[in-house]
Amino acid sequence: MESSVQTTFNEGGAEITVTNETNIGGASGLLNVSMIDEIRNMTNVSDVAGELQVIEIVNTSLPSQSPLARMTVYGLDSSKLNLIGIKNVNGSVYEENSTQAIVGKYYCEKNNISIGDNLTIYGKNFDVVGIYETGAMYKDNSVYVSLDKLQNITDTYDVSSILVKTTENANDTAISQNIEKKYENISTLTSEELSSMLDNVIGILDSASLAISGLAIIVGAIGVINTMIMAVYERTKEIGVLKSIGWKSKKILIMILGETLVLTILSGIIGSLFGILIAEVGVKFFGTNGFTLVYTPQTFILAFGITIIVGIIGGVYPAYKASKLAPTEALRYE
Amino acid sequence: MELIRLQNVLKQFDKGAVTALNNINLSIEQGSFVSIIGPSGSGKSTLLNMLGALDSPDSGQVIINGVDLSTQKDLSDFRRHEIGFVFQLHNLIPNLSVQDNVEIPLMDSGLSEKEKHRRALLFIEAVGLLDKRKQKPNKLSGGERQRVAIARALVNFPSIILADEPTGALDTKTGAKILDVLRFVQRSVGATLIIVTHDIDVARLAQRTIEIRDGQIIRDYYNRR
Repeated sequence: MESSVQTTFNEGGAEITVTNETNIGGASGLLNVSMIDEIRNMTNVSDVAGELQVIEIVNTSLPSQSPLARMTVYGLDSSKLNLIGIKNVNGSVYEENSTQAIVGKYYCEKNNISIGDNLTIYGKNFDVVGIYETGAMYKDNSVYVSLDKLQNITDTYDVSSILVKTTENANDTAISQNIEKKYENISTLTSEELSSMLDNVIGILDSASLAISGLAIIVGAIGVINTMIMAVYERTKEIGVLKSIGWKSKKILIMILGETLVLTILSGIIGSLFGILIAEVGVKFFGTNGFTLVYTPQTFILAFGITIIVGIIGGVYPAYKASKLAPTEALRYE
Repeated sequence: MELIRLQNVLKQFDKGAVTALNNINLSIEQGSFVSIIGPSGSGKSTLLNMLGALDSPDSGQVIINGVDLSTQKDLSDFRRHEIGFVFQLHNLIPNLSVQDNVEIPLMDSGLSEKEKHRRALLFIEAVGLLDKRKQKPNKLSGGERQRVAIARALVNFPSIILADEPTGALDTKTGAKILDVLRFVQRSVGATLIIVTHDIDVARLAQRTIEIRDGQIIRDYYNRR
């Protein structure tokens, strides 16, 4: 889970993102463009870009809050795309002040968009000239156009956020605090803070995953115990016969535990293969783009360990019960 | 020579509500063929379980080959070496072949695999099933299954063969054949054969018949030849 999520939240190039304090989701409070040059001149800042975000409602039949009804459009200088992690574009990058756009791979797949198609943004037609992929789902679910053009058509001459790239080994927190001191009503988010937020998300996801696994283990253990009890119960007479021909209780205990072990190892192998199949099919058919499946040896070792422990615990009780069965009682069983 | 001696054997069930064996005294000679008869619930199967060390008396002694069974902690070794059981419903392990079923009592014998196979095949041949040694029990007839059970009971060369209604689930002709096989292999290994039966004709085949009712021996006699 953690590995998958870390791949998904692939970070961009900018270490600090500056936004207006009243900016909720990037589409309201704005920042004055003059701040871009002022921040660029600060110590340890290597590059700065302004980004304008607008939300375009593309499907009026759905509630406006629905992700399927909205298209998030960003305006950014094409030379600054590296600051948000766009390194490779299939097709070409938009020209400045043009009605060209590049679209995230996830948004394209969701809406069946390809290069050459048109998008309507604020009543203007934009040509899709490229498709990009960053590996981060929330970034690949957007559209990027020229900042000048977006400002022009939305009649906005400010920006929603400012992306700040710092020099190597710079203290991002100190730079971030300097920016916050210099301007009122702004907030900053460093990549470290973003990473910490990511850790929290991963923690929550891991806890949820652990809870689901725990539940599955309890259900599985009950299943194994029930199956083994029934299997031993059905073989009561056989156990009686084995005892009558001289098998010791210990030998019967070992036999049943051995069978349990073989069963659990087999079920571990089948379960792991089935798990991989379900995960692959799930990702393929239910479209979780940007969510990379990662199989680690630890996952399989843990799964096998738990399977075998649950199997042995599940097998001990019926095996012990069977070994203690009086032969005459077992032989009477029908 | 005396092989089995029962002295004042008492066995009760349901906290004393049912007396299965009531003060039984009995002596059986080595190499003899004895039948135990009696109606259902008379105590004959309980008696057979005592003789086979499957159950222990509430009081009294069961002495076999000079060993008082009540002094033994674990009777499984005794059963494996001294006793061969033949049940009414053969009780073969369904997913094992005829040969594997016959080899089960030899599992902890310390014999080599080769010797185990040789000995199992010897008894499978004695009961006339050599050509079916690889088959599973569900492919055999009722009589054939019972013959496999006899081979399994004898493969350890036990000193006592205990058969609980061995022909009870078979037709008369097949039952007679099974008894012939049982007698033949019993004589071959020199074992003592004790059969529990309802059938008076089967009982008469034995040298001696013990009649039991309400947990007590009511008649004990030798059959005329």
